[in-house]
Amino acid sequence: MAKAFFVDTSRCTACRGCQIACKEWKGHGVVPTKQRGTHQNPPDLTSTNYKLVRFSEHKIDGQIQWLFFPEQCRHCVYPPCKMVGDNYDDTAILHDEVTGAVLFTEKTKGLPFQEIREACPYNIPRLDNATGQITKCDMCIDRVQAGMLPACVKVCPTGAMNFGELEEMQALAQQRLAIVKQKHPNAQLLDADDLRVIYLVTQDRTRYFEFAQRQELPSFTRKSLLAKLASPVQHLAG
Amino acid sequence: MRVSRRGFMKLTGASAACISLAQLGFNLSPVQAYAADLKIAGAREVISICPFCSCGCNLIMHTKQGKLINVEGDPDYPISEGSLCAKGAAMLSMHNSDHRVYKPLYRAPGALDWEEKDWDFVLDRIARRVKDTRDKDFIRQNAKGQTVNRVETIFQLGTSQMDNEECALSHQMLRSLGVVYLDHQARV
Repeated sequence: MAKAFFVDTSRCTACRGCQIACKEWKGHGVVPTKQRGTHQNPPDLTSTNYKLVRFSEHKIDGQIQWLFFPEQCRHCVYPPCKMVGDNYDDTAILHDEVTGAVLFTEKTKGLPFQEIREACPYNIPRLDNATGQITKCDMCIDRVQAGMLPACVKVCPTGAMNFGELEEMQALAQQRLAIVKQKHPNAQLLDADDLRVIYLVTQDRTRYFEFAQRQELPSFTRKSLLAKLASPVQHLAG
Repeated sequence: MRVSRRGFMKLTGASAACISLAQLGFNLSPVQAYAADLKIAGAREVISICPFCSCGCNLIMHTKQGKLINVEGDPDYPISEGSLCAKGAAMLSMHNSDHRVYKPLYRAPGALDWEEKDWDFVLDRIARRVKDTRDKDFIRQNAKGQTVNRVETIFQLGTSQMDNEECALSHQMLRSLGVVYLDHQARV
């Protein structure tokens, strides 16, 4: 049934095992790099980095806080990228009804990249210049269908990355939130109702990075999406 | 076709479900096509051990036609329970890296380039150098006339892949030579 991730950043030590495991499973090659004064490497998601551990440093109440955020596609319950993609080719972006995974197929070559990227509230899609395909995390759908955990979850030594049934992950998220709040009063779950990747963060979400916030185009808010979904039903009923 | 009332209710229920899935933008069969191949399906599984730190995590190595195609943690290993760190997770890339060294490399004194040598050559060479250095630099007494029996010009760096017995053996050999500078790779 519907699957979900629960990412508990309070447990993340930024070992970046998830980032590497993703690369290894996908067979993605190395990206040329250089010293940029941060452990965040590469600096942004690429067409061969579906997973990236983001680092940010803050002085909060006189204490240094080093915040980690293992970023990936959130596999939205109502994916705006698919809504846009469907205007061009409704087989380019798939929404798996079993797991809820949002999948970019080879046919994304035919979609306008900028439009798809801008539709994403979390700025996830990237263009593979070599193939022309639009790429992102696919929930390791091949592994999940075989009853295995996604590579990034299997590898995680701390329990920051979790994967399972949606209800289980929602329950786990609430349970962890209650515990983490005792130490971090600002702890919160990020857009838990809209996503299949539930993040627990310990600080205000603006402290992490730009797209830890939801950046919605006005036409893609939950309300307008639901209205759009309801309209054919009304049409049928009417 | 005979349809019972119960069967009829099931059928209508199913078609109602299909309509709503289609309206939600779901595609049914293309997903199967997208995830058709699991790359480790039918692969042979061999247990190995991560060579990096002293946790010595078990690894499942997936091979096909004698080639390593995937590496991941072993859920049955009690220390890591299937997880790995970034170093262990990169084992496949390390194995396939063109930077890997397959033979001992030797750089002669004063030479600029490394040359490949066989193990007989390097082991004899190491033994010779250890013996010469130990004989030359062995200190029987310190400045106060106390017996010390030590060598200060040899340093040994251990490996986290050694078990207790190997460590004991290595330690005894080095102490018998008088080596006092012993350390361990896992501290680096």
